Amino acid sequence: MSNAILRAEGVYSGYGRGDIISDVNISVDRASITTIIGPNGAGKSTFIKTVAGVVRRRAGRILIDGYDVSGMSPSDVSRHAVAYVPQERNIFRSLTVMENLEMGAWIEPRKFDSRVARVLDLFPALNALKVVRAGNLSGGQRQMVAFGMALMVEPKLLLLDEPSAGLSPVMVEQMFAVIQQVRESGIAIMMVEQNAIQALRVSDVGAVMSAGRVAMIGSASELLGDREVAELYLGTRT
Amino acid sequence: MAQVIVNGIVSAALIAPPAVAFSMLFGILRFPNFAIGGYITVGVFAAYAMNVPLALPFWVAALGATLAGAVIVWISDQIIFRPMRTSAPVTLLVVSIALTFVLEHSVRLIFGPDVKGFNLPLERPITLGQIHITRSQIHLIGTALFIIVFTHLLLTRTRTGRAMRAMADNPELAEVRGIRSTLIRVVATLYCGALLGLSGVSAGFDLAIEPLLGWSLTIPIIAAAILGGIGSVYGAMLGAVLVGLAEEFSTLILPSSYKIAVGFGIIAMLLLLRPQGLLGQPEIKK
Repeated sequence: MSNAILRAEGVYSGYGRGDIISDVNISVDRASITTIIGPNGAGKSTFIKTVAGVVRRRAGRILIDGYDVSGMSPSDVSRHAVAYVPQERNIFRSLTVMENLEMGAWIEPRKFDSRVARVLDLFPALNALKVVRAGNLSGGQRQMVAFGMALMVEPKLLLLDEPSAGLSPVMVEQMFAVIQQVRESGIAIMMVEQNAIQALRVSDVGAVMSAGRVAMIGSASELLGDREVAELYLGTRT
Repeated sequence: MAQVIVNGIVSAALIAPPAVAFSMLFGILRFPNFAIGGYITVGVFAAYAMNVPLALPFWVAALGATLAGAVIVWISDQIIFRPMRTSAPVTLLVVSIALTFVLEHSVRLIFGPDVKGFNLPLERPITLGQIHITRSQIHLIGTALFIIVFTHLLLTRTRTGRAMRAMADNPELAEVRGIRSTLIRVVATLYCGALLGLSGVSAGFDLAIEPLLGWSLTIPIIAAAILGGIGSVYGAMLGAVLVGLAEEFSTLILPSSYKIAVGFGIIAMLLLLRPQGLLGQPEIKK
């Protein structure tokens, strides 16, 4: 069995007539964290949405654990143990926290109680908010609900679009700590992050996307130490 | 005054179930389906056809109208609205208005334009002090309360109901979480169709049965849904009570023929002052 949970081979996708991403090749290993960085408009979110089935792939193949999920609907992709957390509108605002978690477990309702217990273990703050409408929560609490919902299916691959966006520095630290904990439980994570330095510090692999293509890929520590990457994408000078 | 309040509650009972159906359909299908009037007309005439020409017991006719409503809403969604799913909401709205005319005129073609009534025994109103109310109106209120409680239990106590709320709230996320939108749409259209069919039966209790019956209820129903917050089921219930009471209280100072203007007035005021309605959530755009 290959160690790759995700293999994207020559993927093209986009909106309207033009392609946003072109010939993207990325492989994500089991129980690893891969972070995609790059400037705004590089196609990072489009790529992650394409893997989730939210944006239609135009060419290339997307294999999840060896199964070709190219062209599948988001609902069908989710049935291959892929959980996607969008950057915005990532909760059901009119549902309570518990109802959100239940919707997270829609395709796999068995073991609901044990999974809720695990999510509440990761995010203890949600314990007191179970019956609160998610729309009334703070930004950080909403992000916990969104993350928790994705974990309710015990995914093999977690796709996170800007998980730290809009969070306070303390919450960002906590979020990356949880991401590491999730990885340690055997789940592979591919995330898009503007908070590039912190994201790469917890990652195994880093990829730089530019103009819809993968400009560079390597170990996260290599990217952190790369002078060009540091100047162009990390906002630091080495 | 007490009689006006009772009349308002009767009006609310007439408006609430279809307003709930309108709001649910909006939440799931993402467009305002003005064909509700046509669906109500189909419901009331299905009940009439079974109760009078076929001489079936009234409860059988009511059940038949509920089924007829479910079937007509589901068929119209499958044949007309589903192929147009990617069209702009305003296009679907215009198509739904056209569908109302098609349904109402089809009913007129089959049953004729004359006013009709159910085969029910004549009854004297019950008098409690200065309040007069008929048994039919009590049944109407009872039916509305049953529908509201049942809908609440469906939406909060069943997994499918909660998924319907999730889909109405955030359809893209629902799809990402694995909820099959096609299945939820079918369940929602069948349920709302049943509500509209049953609403037709309730309307036939209180109003003259004629092909434009549904159309005459359309404005108050939509006013109730907008007042409560379009897409919000509980808002529609609250909106129906407020519109029903407002319509009846308006008769204290205006001729009763102006009641429909109250509905228009409420829509206009709400759109200016609180477009999301009383219980609706404002749309957040980046």
